[in-house]
Amino acid sequence: MRGYLGQLSAIVWKDLVVELRTKERILSMGGFTVLVGVLFNYGLDRSVVRPQDLAAGWIWVTIVFTGVLGLGRTFEMERSEGALRGVLMSPVPRDAIFLAKVLSNFVLTMLAAILVFAIFGLFFDLSFGSHPLVLLAVVATGTLGFTSLGTLYSGVTAGTTMGDTLLPILVFPLLVPMVIYGVTATAGLFAGLPVSEVSGNLRMLMAFALITTFAGAGLFRFIVEE
Amino acid sequence: MQLGRIGISAAILGGLGVLGTLFLHWMVFFWVPTEATMGIVQRIFYIHVPSAWVAFLAFGIVALAGAVYLWLGDERLDQTALAAAEGGMIFTTIVLITGPLWAVIAWGTYWTWEPRLTLTLLLWFIYLGYFLVRRTTENPQAAKRFAAVVGIVGAVNIPLIHVSVLWFRSLHPQPVVLKAEGPTLHPDMLLTLMVGLLSFTLLFLGIFLLRFGVARMEYEIAYREARGAPSPAPSGSPASPAAPSSPPSAGPEAAPSE
Repeated sequence: MRGYLGQLSAIVWKDLVVELRTKERILSMGGFTVLVGVLFNYGLDRSVVRPQDLAAGWIWVTIVFTGVLGLGRTFEMERSEGALRGVLMSPVPRDAIFLAKVLSNFVLTMLAAILVFAIFGLFFDLSFGSHPLVLLAVVATGTLGFTSLGTLYSGVTAGTTMGDTLLPILVFPLLVPMVIYGVTATAGLFAGLPVSEVSGNLRMLMAFALITTFAGAGLFRFIVEE
Repeated sequence: MQLGRIGISAAILGGLGVLGTLFLHWMVFFWVPTEATMGIVQRIFYIHVPSAWVAFLAFGIVALAGAVYLWLGDERLDQTALAAAEGGMIFTTIVLITGPLWAVIAWGTYWTWEPRLTLTLLLWFIYLGYFLVRRTTENPQAAKRFAAVVGIVGAVNIPLIHVSVLWFRSLHPQPVVLKAEGPTLHPDMLLTLMVGLLSFTLLFLGIFLLRFGVARMEYEIAYREARGAPSPAPSGSPASPAAPSSPPSAGPEAAPSE
């Protein structure tokens, strides 16, 4: 178990260090988030609609879009440099490689999600309610399920001629539960509902995260098999 | 040859399916009583519901065959999944066409976020992803595994999608929704529905077997060409570039891009 976690964290560390040095995905996801906020501002008439009423839906859709942007490149560098073969030849179980990829993607996507909240809160003067930790749990759980799906499918799209343009078509149909429960819980918390009102949504998000993570860990070896 | 048996079974099942479908149309247009509240538009129900049943049945086959294919690696299982997916996509499309046609009269709008309609739309897109993955993957052996994974992940998520869209609807009640199929269905209507279910299932099985037979032939041709064995055609050119799928002997060492 200790060896497993050690292998896992080694891959996570490698991915995050590579990302910190190149900053490819951080910059594109961060820039995307801010610019979507700017565009949304011109997409509505504030004298008619209050941004606060739409914020939960906007925020989740933006997290999904910026997430797909980053997730699509999960295996990009490793494929083009042939480094994926090196990782696969190391004595690390396939599911550990998958979970490590999910974790490093999760860290990135969570950073982007927090940036989405910060930017939208700043731009549209939003009130996030009085349970920031519960809100964080909702966003983290939804993001984990999303990241698992995206990581698995970016392994698929990396082997196709369509590349990451195929990723949204594969991932979006399966994100419906995450968006439904995530937006409902977020909107409830924004509106100041008590935690007991959103705990059911959080449990459904956990179910989504569990299903996608286990399915991904079990199926990943068929994606990278040569 | 066993392909002959597949062809005969496909012809029998498909033929029965076509006959049943013709009979179903006679029942729908001339025999079954008109539903009291919705009028004649309700008759599309006898096409719509059997199509939906077949669409989900086919998707079950895709996921199941895909899972066993990943386990055993038998090419016939992959061909089964492919054949079921193509048939399923046709029937899913029929559901998506007949649903709005009915809804515009019954509900006054082509599209509503009715949970089953939403689920079917998402199913259609999962099928679309399945075919796109199959067609665009560079390594033909990987394409089969990728497609199986897409089928399985789609299937394990479908119950959750179903629950969530149902729950979302209960959150936003839509008063216009009418229940076409109450538990008190007129016996003639029930009989027509049963004929529809049976005919469409037979029709699907016919199409499915036919497609499966074609997939097996394609595979055999590609396999023989790769082996360099004399092909039954007079000028058997071994270097045919138009081979639809590469045989296993092409080697698992497929070159990764660059």
